[in-house]
Amino acid sequence: MGTVHIRDVRKSYGAVEVLHGVSIDIEDGEFVALVGPSGCGKSTLLRMIAGLEDITGGEILIGDRVVNGVAPKDRDIAMVFQNYALYPHKNVRENMGFALRQRRVAKSEIAERVDNAARILGLEPLLDRKPRQLSGGQRQRVAMGRAIVRDPNVFLFDEPLSNLDAKLRVQMRSEIKELHQRLKTTTIYVTHDQIEAMTLADRVVVMNGGVIEQEGPPLELYDNPASLFVAAFIGSPPMNFLEGDLVQPTVLQLQDGTRLNLPVGDRKGRPRVTIGIRPEHLTVAQSGWPATVSVVEPTGSETQITARFAGHLIRVIMRGRTSVRPDETIHLTFDERNLHFFDAAPVPEVAEMEDVA
Amino acid sequence: MEPGKPSGNGSVRVARERQLGDLLVRWSFMAPAIVLLLVLLAYPIFYTIDISFSRFDIATFGAGAWVGWDNYREVMSDYRFWESLKVTMIYLAFALPIQVVVGFGIAYLINAEWAGRGIIRALFIIPMVVAPVVAGGMWRMILDPLWGLMNYWLGFIGIGPLDWFGDPNLAMAAVIIIDTWRWTPFIVLIATAAMLALPKDVFEAARIDGCNWWSTLWSVAVPLLVPVIAATFVIRWLGAVKMFDIVLAATYGGPGKATNVVNLFIYEEAFRSLRFAESAAMAVIVLILTMVLTGLFLRASRKLEELF
Repeated sequence: MGTVHIRDVRKSYGAVEVLHGVSIDIEDGEFVALVGPSGCGKSTLLRMIAGLEDITGGEILIGDRVVNGVAPKDRDIAMVFQNYALYPHKNVRENMGFALRQRRVAKSEIAERVDNAARILGLEPLLDRKPRQLSGGQRQRVAMGRAIVRDPNVFLFDEPLSNLDAKLRVQMRSEIKELHQRLKTTTIYVTHDQIEAMTLADRVVVMNGGVIEQEGPPLELYDNPASLFVAAFIGSPPMNFLEGDLVQPTVLQLQDGTRLNLPVGDRKGRPRVTIGIRPEHLTVAQSGWPATVSVVEPTGSETQITARFAGHLIRVIMRGRTSVRPDETIHLTFDERNLHFFDAAPVPEVAEMEDVA
Repeated sequence: MEPGKPSGNGSVRVARERQLGDLLVRWSFMAPAIVLLLVLLAYPIFYTIDISFSRFDIATFGAGAWVGWDNYREVMSDYRFWESLKVTMIYLAFALPIQVVVGFGIAYLINAEWAGRGIIRALFIIPMVVAPVVAGGMWRMILDPLWGLMNYWLGFIGIGPLDWFGDPNLAMAAVIIIDTWRWTPFIVLIATAAMLALPKDVFEAARIDGCNWWSTLWSVAVPLLVPVIAATFVIRWLGAVKMFDIVLAATYGGPGKATNVVNLFIYEEAFRSLRFAESAAMAVIVLILTMVLTGLFLRASRKLEELF
């Protein structure tokens, strides 16, 4: 059974606690992405699941077994590293079969399983090459092959695509997804790239500062971010934020004194809030908030408009094309369902937008 | 040539003069280094080669009449020369592998993070900074058959007393022990640096793949270290072929000729027997042998690097 249960797991280095009690339940066959900015503890958590780091507090269960203190090799996991971690002196075949050889699996069976994994990943012509004779994408594929050959209960991926160029990253991303759909092995995938997390995972766990900010299906996080951090982290280009006082239930006064009429009020009734609206939820209309266009960026299928509004830069994404020109004044409206309220706070650095001087 | 000037004979001459001046300035900067190199390195070598082809003139302390290959023929037929070469080879054949294996072994063992590692590393440097003659003298006392510490300790485990400097084999062993004591720390330092530079994730992958201590060492660490091991071997070889000081201080080639390495033999022939021309010829032969073997080792280590 490929279930993983993480129960109130903590990690300290000396007096410094970097994971402050994290709990996640992962079902058999699920693809879970741990995502967050660097230093949020996601890689540490993955390495604790792998057994490469000690568990300071809490429990990790793989299947029904508590694996605290169990050696990595006995946890029935396979890991794919960011830098591939291939054995440089062994060829592809030996790299992939190495774990089985360590377990004294019969030679014929090793050959069969290596050939099988090589066929799945299209590595057959490369089996006799050394890692240094391979491209980055091929190396990553070998690293994945090494994991597949072991047929583990859980796959662990530690930022596997970070070292690849943008185009290859997209290609490998769909390969990983295809692989998971085919093998249906429980997968825990660490990344700092929210797009990777969104596109790959059944469930995304957003981490920040050693705690879980929010977890759920990708679109759930996108539609209903529980915190300003998640709202800022998920989505590209990021959500627009405005901080101010609710002087009336539906009137927001910004720091520069501008008053905005909101279609709805904050359900929690907070006096100070930060509101958020995604770029694609803003529409250009006849009336609404007046903003001055500064940049228009057409990409064909959609157009991104950056506009100055009350001392802030607001991004708008519209389908198709537009006749809007820089320095023109446009009016922005949005549906009340797409307006998010958060506790008033400066926008986290993940989505920092430059203020207009 | 500057633009705008009429091009003609005059400007060509100016350009040539400037070029000459430029050349002069360059060489004047290099001159001190060149003179130093010529005086300290090139001259002694050419002097040695010169007297190796001549009859040595004690009066002028320089080359006398040209005798061609006579000196070479003579030393080539001298069995003592071949004996001393053989002694050197025996010493090298034992000392080099032992030092490289022990050095990398110690480095591997102390590679883990633990308190006090810095102090241990600092202690390791001590043997290298002790003057070789002092090291030789010190070990003479430790290995003294009657009063030495070594025999005292060996006595506890029922060995000995051993006549370290009286028995030909033990004397060679003593020289190798002293040399190993002196040079292993150097290899430990290189090996430690090399191990710190090894990729951590490959070792983590090995842990997940189920490697135990031994297979991690043998299947992962050693193959990754092969290029460094080969390079260390060549560096140590270049130092070890010059073996002279420790033998001089500890055994003086004895007993008999058991530890009479070729450098000591050449030294003896030159400054005891005053056969300067012959010893110069031997020195040249040893130099050529060393160069050829070094070239072979370098080639082999490059081959090894390609393999791993």
